[in-house]
Amino acid sequence: MGPYHAIMVHFPVALWTVASGIIFFRAFSDGSLARAFDRVLVPLLLIGVATGVVSYTLGLLVWSPDTLQATPLGRNHMIAASWSLCTWAAILFLRWRVGEMVWEGRVNRLIMVGFGALGASQLAATGTLGGHLHGAPAYLSELMRVFGWDVYHTFYSPTWVLLVLAVAIVAMPVLAIVTTRGRAARSQRQEASK
Amino acid sequence: MLRRRTAIIVVAALFTAALLLSLFTHSTGVVRNDPARNIWIPPELTMPVELQVAYNDAQIFFHYRWPARQPHVFTDLLRYSQGKWQRQLSTPIGSDPDGIYEDRLAMMVDDGSVPEFQRYGGYITVGANMRDFTGSGPDAAHRRKYLPATRRDPNEWYSIVDQATLESQRRAGYFLDLWHWRAHLSNPLGRSDDQHVAWYRLYDSGEPLFFSNWDVDKGQPRWMFDLESSGVRALRWEDVAGGRRDESQPYYLLAATAVPFDATHEWGEGDVIPGQVLREPSGSRDEIRVHGEGRWADGYWDVTLVRALDTGHPLEDKVLRDQGVYSIALSVHRDARASRWHYVSLPLQLGLGRQAELMATRFSGPTPDWSRVDTREVTLFYPGQVSWKHLSSARHAGSKYIAKGVPVKYRHKETQLAQYGVEMEFDREIRRQWALSLIAGVLLVASFVFSVSLLFRHRED
Repeated sequence: MGPYHAIMVHFPVALWTVASGIIFFRAFSDGSLARAFDRVLVPLLLIGVATGVVSYTLGLLVWSPDTLQATPLGRNHMIAASWSLCTWAAILFLRWRVGEMVWEGRVNRLIMVGFGALGASQLAATGTLGGHLHGAPAYLSELMRVFGWDVYHTFYSPTWVLLVLAVAIVAMPVLAIVTTRGRAARSQRQEASK
Repeated sequence: MLRRRTAIIVVAALFTAALLLSLFTHSTGVVRNDPARNIWIPPELTMPVELQVAYNDAQIFFHYRWPARQPHVFTDLLRYSQGKWQRQLSTPIGSDPDGIYEDRLAMMVDDGSVPEFQRYGGYITVGANMRDFTGSGPDAAHRRKYLPATRRDPNEWYSIVDQATLESQRRAGYFLDLWHWRAHLSNPLGRSDDQHVAWYRLYDSGEPLFFSNWDVDKGQPRWMFDLESSGVRALRWEDVAGGRRDESQPYYLLAATAVPFDATHEWGEGDVIPGQVLREPSGSRDEIRVHGEGRWADGYWDVTLVRALDTGHPLEDKVLRDQGVYSIALSVHRDARASRWHYVSLPLQLGLGRQAELMATRFSGPTPDWSRVDTREVTLFYPGQVSWKHLSSARHAGSKYIAKGVPVKYRHKETQLAQYGVEMEFDREIRRQWALSLIAGVLLVASFVFSVSLLFRHRED
C-alpha cells in the first residue's frame, strides 16, 4: 500500500496547504478576493479531510500496526498524521459551524491564524516523517530538532503532563459552557424585567 | 461571570499552554535505570574512537585512541571480608558501583566470508534472549555471540547444526576474527587476547593469557603477591575501590612472580588479591601484541595492536593480504562496564592498498610513522537490546531491506541506532505513553474547537 499512500497524500497536502494560505489571507484582509477565497474554504477543507482519511487509512496498511508502532519514526509519523487530520477536521468544523463569525474581531482571527499555523506545522512534520520512513529524509527534520523535537525520539508525554492535558481538556468546554449559559441566563432575566 | 472575549482568550491560552507543555516535556518520564530488568542506560549514547591502520610486508598495525575519564584496570578481585575470602560472581549491570571492571577494546574482522557482517556488523551475532537482556532468565549466562548459519533456526540458541557442518563452515571461512584487548587481563603482558566468533564466542587455540586464582574447594585464592618482589602480599580495597590505582603497587598477578597463597597469614578486612593470574600465552592465542605500551593519559587510552598478516592459523585468524578489502567493527567497554553495556561501531571497510572507507597505509621498515597515516574517527554507539531476531522479523520495518541485502548504513546513523536501542528497552512503556499522548492530543484539539465554537457563536449582549 506504500505507493498508493504516497499518491493519495498529495491531495490532503495540497488542499490543506492552500487552506492554510486562505486562512492567513482572510485573517488579514476583508477584501473581496479574501472573501471569495473564504467562500471555498469549507468545500476545500471537506475534500481535504475526506482525502486525508483515505490517506490515513492507506498509511495504516503500509505496515502492520505492530511494525509501524515498533519504531520511533513509525510512531512519530502516526501521531503527527493523527493530529494533522484531527486539527484540519477541527478547522473544518469550526468554519462550517461558526460560519463567517470566525473572522469577527482580532481575537477570533488570531485563533484562526494559530489553528492554521498548527495544522500547517503538523502537516509539514507528518510529511517529513513520511519521507524519513521511506528513506528520503529532508533537512526539515533538522529544523524540527531546533524547535526541540528530534524525530528519532518517540514523541510522548510523561504521565503528569497527560494529567495536566486531561484537566485542560475538561476545563476548556466547562469554561465555554459556563460563560455562554451565564450570559444567556442574564439576557433572559433582562428580557423578562423589561 | 467571564466576558465572552475573556473566555476565548483564557481557552486559547489554556490550549497553547498545553501544546507548549507537551512540546517541552516530550520524550521524558519513562527512560530510567531499572536493574531488576537488567536495564541501565549510559549517560553518553555515543563515543568516538580514532583509528589508524598501517601495514608492511609481514604485519598490520592498528592504532586506537579513545576517551575515558579514568582508566579501569582491575577486574575480578578476591576480597577478604567478614573473616573469609569472597568473589564477586555476577556481572555488574551498567557501571560497577565499585569501579572494578577493566577497560576493553575489541575488533571483529572478516574477509568477506561472512557477507552479512559487511552489511550489518555485530548485530548478526546477537541472537534472541542473549545474556543480560531483559527477561533472558538466569540460565542465559552462556548465551553469547554466534553466527546465524551455525543454527538450524538462527533465532534459537540451542539449534546448533551438527559438528561436521560446523567444521565445513570453519574451513569455508565462516567465522569472525575477534581481537580483544583488555586493560587487566592482556595489556600487562603486552598482548591482546585472540578469539573468534562462530557457533560461540571462542578462544583461539593455545595456552590462555590468564587462569583463575580462585580455589573453589577451599574458598580462597591460590596465589598471592610475593612480598619480597612486590612489596605487598595483597592490595587494599580502599586503594582500588572506584577503579583507583596506586602507581607504586602492582595491579596484576603474574604467574612467574606470584607465590602460593598463605592461608596461615593473618589477613585483614579489605585485603584484595586479583582473581585471575596472568601468564605467557602460546599458539594462536599469542598472535596479537601491544606495540609499545597500551597506556592511559590525559583522559585517553592509546593502544596499538600488531599482528602478522598471516598468522598461520587460518581456521581461527583471518588472513590479511595486500590489495585485500576487509570488514571490521569495533567495540569499547569503559567506565567499569561489562557485558552488553558497551559501545559498538557499524561495520567499516578496510582496504589494504585498495580504495575503501578506510585505507590502510603501506609502509616499509619495522614500525609505521603514524604522522603519515590517515586517521579515521569512528563513532561508536550504545546498541541497547536489539537482536538479529528482531531485525530480521516482520516487526522491524527494515526487515525487507535486510532481506534484499541493503546495508544498515544506508538507512541508519549511529545516533539514531543508539536512540532506537534505548527505546527498544522501554518498548512497552513508551508505546503505552505514546498511545495515551496521541489520544490526549486528539481530545485536546476536539475540546478546544468545541469550546471556541461555542464562544464564537455566542454574541455579547
